[in-house]
Amino acid sequence: MESLRIPILKIGDILIASIQVNLHDASAVQFKDDLLQKIHDTRAKGVIIDLTALDLVDSFIGRLVADIAAMAGLMGSRVVITGLQPAVAITLVELGLELPRVITALNLEKGLSVLQRLTAESGDGAA
Amino acid sequence: MGQPKSAVIRSDLDIVIARTMARDMARTLGFSAIDQARIATAVSELARNIYLYAGTGTVTCREVEKHGRKGIEIVCEDQGPGIPDIDLVMQDGYTTSRGMGMGLPGAKRLMDDFSIQSQVGVGTKIVLRKWRS
Repeated sequence: MESLRIPILKIGDILIASIQVNLHDASAVQFKDDLLQKIHDTRAKGVIIDLTALDLVDSFIGRLVADIAAMAGLMGSRVVITGLQPAVAITLVELGLELPRVITALNLEKGLSVLQRLTAESGDGAA
Repeated sequence: MGQPKSAVIRSDLDIVIARTMARDMARTLGFSAIDQARIATAVSELARNIYLYAGTGTVTCREVEKHGRKGIEIVCEDQGPGIPDIDLVMQDGYTTSRGMGMGLPGAKRLMDDFSIQSQVGVGTKIVLRKWRS
């Protein structure tokens, strides 16, 4: 079965992806590949992955999000995860997945300002 | 008591079906939103183990009652390779291949009761329960 593609929007030099569906493993992996390719193609300095609509993040998705942040970081792009629901934050910590190296923000608006600060600090992001 | 519900795990799509089934039953039984997330997440972890390590298996949810307290029971069964050393996989951070090694201890923390039986070459059966507060 063909996996569902998650749309990735570009605004200026930032990419925004909002995950709205109950992800199965194959579409989550497809999203990782699509996002990294889009970072490469657009030279985006920063990425926001908004998880507001997700009512469940298990260890597979949690680890994938951490992997995406690390991989994008290697490419010189910063990732901010936004909108984790209380139940998702609780279950992630109880699972033992605290994602210490992932930058998070309460919502999309705060995520954008975090990202602007991060990308301003790192110059043009190409360094 | 409602009818038990089962999902057969054969692909990663079935993991989503199983956890949605568990969440729906938990909601029907009156669990809080956070407990619904705990139950669905535990089922997601165990259903993924079935998919990754056994290939196929089943997840069954049913309503249970003990001392007047209502709860949900989830049975995850497979006829896969079995787990040679249960103590080892119940340690946090232990990992075999694609799992994080936190599937089992993580699922245990999310639930109230957790029991596991496994025999090499025969299969694995894990029973989870959560009681309504």
